Amino acid sequence: MAQRPDTVTEGLEVTREVRIEASPETVFPFFTEPNKLMRWMGVEAELDPQPGGIYRVHVSKDWVACGEFVTVEPFVRVAFTWGWENNVMQLPPGASLIEVTLTPDGDATVVTLRHSRLPDEESVASHTDGWEHFLARLSVAAAGGDPGPDPWASGGTQ
Amino acid sequence: MEAALKAIAEPRRRAILQLVHHAERTAGDIAEHFEVTRPAVSQHLRVLKEAGLVTERRDGTRRWYRARPETIRDLQRFLEDFWDEGLERLKAAAEWEERRKRRGAKT
Repeated sequence: MAQRPDTVTEGLEVTREVRIEASPETVFPFFTEPNKLMRWMGVEAELDPQPGGIYRVHVSKDWVACGEFVTVEPFVRVAFTWGWENNVMQLPPGASLIEVTLTPDGDATVVTLRHSRLPDEESVASHTDGWEHFLARLSVAAAGGDPGPDPWASGGTQ
Repeated sequence: MEAALKAIAEPRRRAILQLVHHAERTAGDIAEHFEVTRPAVSQHLRVLKEAGLVTERRDGTRRWYRARPETIRDLQRFLEDFWDEGLERLKAAAEWEERRKRRGAKT
């Protein structure tokens, strides 16, 4: 049964949680091995899962997420920095932090993904084009261009 | 997000959105900026409102419109959708992998 991930949002970070009917040993490589990562995100991935190693994923043709691994603790946690290469949404490569924690729960694993160090109101306000930029991206998508990441085009990459 | 996309696919609606981004305006005021009829502007505003892109405030017989200004909330919402959909696919892929492993272990 598919279940919606729980929603917890606090301040300038995003925390998502999902329970997966699989062991942490099965789930973990989906964050560190390109072939497995691409089964749920992206069309191309370059991963060097060790502290300081590269994390670069073509989420779609034009959207490239880039950062580096910070923590790699097999089957327990993995953390990496994250941003967009073309600096959309005021989020340049490596700007934000993603921490993934795997917690065993019986035969299942609870995956908690925390996306923090997101830009605050002040830093966005200092970029007067912030909102307009975001709007422009939406417009491109609406006009039939590559809409970028999956949320705008459910059902995978284009 | 999809409703928002559809809403701003129309250039006039994008222009209206820009207009009410920094200031709250009435439908009449908005109409004066464009060579379109009041009903046409009202129709555009309705679409924008339903997509959650503008808020409407009633003041007597007048209605005031303003864009939701929260860039941060847009970014957060975007990332929430992004990770929700990603984690749903992760769940499907990992559970499929687990079943494959367990079948393999039995034989």
